[in-house]
Amino acid sequence: METPWLVSRRGILAAFTGLAAISAASGAKARAALRFGLTPVFLDNDWQLLERLSAHIEESTGLGIEYVQRRTYKEVVALLLLGEIDAAWLCGYPLLQYPNRLEAVAIPLWQGRPLYRSYLITADDRTVEDFAALRGDVHAYSDPDSNSGHLVTVARLLELGERPEQFFARTFFTFGHRNVVRAVARRLARSGSVDGYVYDALAATEPELLARTRVVWRSEWHGFPPVVVGSEARGTRAEALLLRALFDITQTEAGREVLRMLQLDGFVPPQPDSFDSIARLMRLVSERG
Amino acid sequence: MRLPLAMPLSLRVPLLVAGLMVLMGIVASQLVLSALNRAQVRQLTDLAEIEFRALSTSLGPYVQRDDIWEMFDILDRATLREGSFRPISAALVDARGRVMVSSLPEAHPIGSNGAGLVEEAIRLDDIRFDAASERIAVRNTVVWQGRPLGQLVIDFDVQEFAAERRRALFSLLLGNAAAILILSVAGYALMRRVLAPVRRLTREMEQPGGTPQPIAEALIPARDAELAQLYHNYNGLILAVQARTATERRLAERERYVSLGRLAGGLAHEINNPLGGLLNTVDTIRTYPDRPDVVRDSAELLERGLKHLRDVSRTTLDMHRNDDGASPEKVQLALQDFDDLHLLIRPEIERKAQILDWRIEADGSCCKGLPAGSVRQIALNLLLNAAAVTGPGGKLGLRVKPDGDSLCLCVWDAGPGFSDSVKPRLLSDEPVEPGGGLGLRVVRDLVKSLGGTIDLGRSVHGQNEVRVRLPLRGRHV
Repeated sequence: METPWLVSRRGILAAFTGLAAISAASGAKARAALRFGLTPVFLDNDWQLLERLSAHIEESTGLGIEYVQRRTYKEVVALLLLGEIDAAWLCGYPLLQYPNRLEAVAIPLWQGRPLYRSYLITADDRTVEDFAALRGDVHAYSDPDSNSGHLVTVARLLELGERPEQFFARTFFTFGHRNVVRAVARRLARSGSVDGYVYDALAATEPELLARTRVVWRSEWHGFPPVVVGSEARGTRAEALLLRALFDITQTEAGREVLRMLQLDGFVPPQPDSFDSIARLMRLVSERG
Repeated sequence: MRLPLAMPLSLRVPLLVAGLMVLMGIVASQLVLSALNRAQVRQLTDLAEIEFRALSTSLGPYVQRDDIWEMFDILDRATLREGSFRPISAALVDARGRVMVSSLPEAHPIGSNGAGLVEEAIRLDDIRFDAASERIAVRNTVVWQGRPLGQLVIDFDVQEFAAERRRALFSLLLGNAAAILILSVAGYALMRRVLAPVRRLTREMEQPGGTPQPIAEALIPARDAELAQLYHNYNGLILAVQARTATERRLAERERYVSLGRLAGGLAHEINNPLGGLLNTVDTIRTYPDRPDVVRDSAELLERGLKHLRDVSRTTLDMHRNDDGASPEKVQLALQDFDDLHLLIRPEIERKAQILDWRIEADGSCCKGLPAGSVRQIALNLLLNAAAVTGPGGKLGLRVKPDGDSLCLCVWDAGPGFSDSVKPRLLSDEPVEPGGGLGLRVVRDLVKSLGGTIDLGRSVHGQNEVRVRLPLRGRHV
C-alpha cells in the first residue's frame, strides 16, 4: 500500500517531532542549510516524505535543508519577507500579493501540466447541481490566502453578482485542504472550497473520506502552487542548488519516491503567464468596490 | 412465610435456613451494589471533571476566536479516544442556546437549537448513574480567563461501568445461589443426622401390627443427654404399658377362674342333686333285682339322670374348650348354645331363688357367622353380673332377637343399675381401676373384637338393660 502523505493531525505531531530531530541534526551545519517553509494548508506533513525530500536534495546537491512549519500562508509569507526562511511551497495568491519581494522559481507538474483548479464540494447525499444551490450553507474555506480554497470561490460569487459575505450563512477556515474535505464529510460544513489536486490525491489515500463528498463545481485551470523564494535568497548558491535538486528530482530514488508520494510528475520553471488567471481573480476581488 | 406443618423437620429447617440466606443475600447484595454505585459515581465524577478541565482548557482560546474548525477538531479527537470512560459525543452551546459546534454535526448542526441538549444533561457536580443506562450526558460551563463562554455537554460512554455492575450483580446472584444451595443441602444432611435418633424412635413406635418394644441400651445415644433421656422415657413408657397389659391379663384370667369357680359350685350342686336320686335308684335295683318293671323304671330313671349329667358336663367342657383357645372362633353359634347357657346359669339362679326370664326369639339362621365361645362368654358374664347385682328373689332375664344385620342380646335385671365407677369397664377403653372384677371389661373386649356395640337402656318392664349388638356375616374387626 502506498504511504499516505496527506495525514491526520496526529501525523503532524509526529512530523513535528521528526522536524525537531532534523533541525537539531542540521544545526551543526548552521547557516549552510536551506530553510524551507511549509504549511499544512497545502502539504499536510508527513515526516517520511520530508525525510526523502531532504535525502534527495542532499544526495543531488549536498545542500542541507531545514523545514520551518507554520499554520497559515500568512505566517510563512511573513517569514519569507523577513528573510527568516529562504524558500517555501506557497499558493499563487500570496505570491502575487508581494510581486516585488517573492518569486516563483519552480512549479510542480500534475498530470503532466503545471496547472490545477479549485473544487466546490458538498455532502455525497445532497442533490445540488450548481453553485447557486449552495446559498445559505455553512461553508468551509481552507486559508484566507489560498487561491483554490478561498479566492476562487469568492471571485466566482462576485462574478455571479452575489455578495460573498451574505451568500453563505456561515463560513470558517480549516487551514488545510484535507480539513475542508473532513469538514464536509463529517457534515460540519454543508459545502467547502478545496484544492482539486489535493481532493483527487485523497482518492488514493483516503477513499472512504472522499466517498462522503462529491464535487458540485470545478473552476478554470490556474497555475499550480509554486516553490517561492524571498528576495534575500534570490541569486544565492542555496537557491541554485535547490532549483537543481527540484528540476532533477527524478534522478534519485528518494526524489522519485517523493514524486510518487505527492502524486506529481516533476518540477518545471514557471512561465511569465503562469499565474495570470489568479491575478485576474485578485483584481476582480480588489475592484469589487 | 408459613411452611406447611406436614413438612418433616429435616426439610423445614434447611428451607428456613435457605429462606434466611436468601433474605441475607438480598440485603448484602443491596449493600454491595449501593457501595459499588457510590464508588462508580465518585469515579465517574472524577473522570468527568478531568475531561471537562482538559477540554475547557483546549477549547477556551478557540471559542474566544470563534475558530469552528479547531473547536470541532478538539471535540472530535476527544471522542475518538479509546477507554472505558470516553466521550461518545460532545457539543458546545452558547449562552443563547445555539450549538456553536458539535462532534456530531449531522445531529447538531452549527447554529441549531441546543437548549434541549443542555436541559437533558446532568450537572457535573450532580452526577447520578442509572444502572440501566449505557451513556450519560453531563454539562459544565466552559470558562476562559474568567469569562464563561458556553455550556459544554459531553455524552459519556458508561457501558463498562454498567457491565461492571451487571457482573457484580451476576456474581452476587451466583454466589448467593451457590451458598444457599450448599447450606441447604448441608442443613438437610445435618438435620437428617441430628434427627436420626428421633426417626428411630418414631419407627419403633410405628411397628406395624406389633407391640412397641423398648430400645436396646446399646442403641441409646450416650453422648446426647437429651436424646438419651427421651429414649429412657420411651423405654419406661413401653415397660409401664407392658406391665399394665400383663396385669390386666392376669386380672382377666383371675376373673375367669372366679366365674368358673362360681359355675363349678353350681355345677357341683347340679350334679349333687340328681346323684342322691341316682344312688337311691341303684339301691332300688339292688333291692329288687328280680322285678323287671322296677329295674326298667329304675334304668330309665338312671338314664335320664345320667343324660342330665352328660349334658351338664358337656356344656362345661364346651366352655372349657373355649378357655383352652382350641379354635373356639371356628365353632359357630347355634341356638343349642343358649340352652347350654340356661343350664349353666340355672344353678346360680336357683341358689339365689331368683326368677329368670329366658326369651330366645331368634332362629338358627340369625346366629350364623358368630363365634359360639365369645357370644356364650358375653352372655354368661352379663347374666352372672345381673344375678350378682339382683338381690335374692329378684328378677332378671335374657332376650335374644335379630335386629337387622345384627343379633341383639339384651340382659336386664331388677338391680340398681351400673354405678359411674363401673360403667367405664363396659363402655370405654379406660384403664380398669383396681378393686373390681374384670368380667365387664372382658365383655367389652369381646364385643369390640366382634365389631359390635354396647348400649345401656331400659327394658320393656322398665328395668336396667344392657344391649349388645353383634353384626352378622363375619364383620369382625
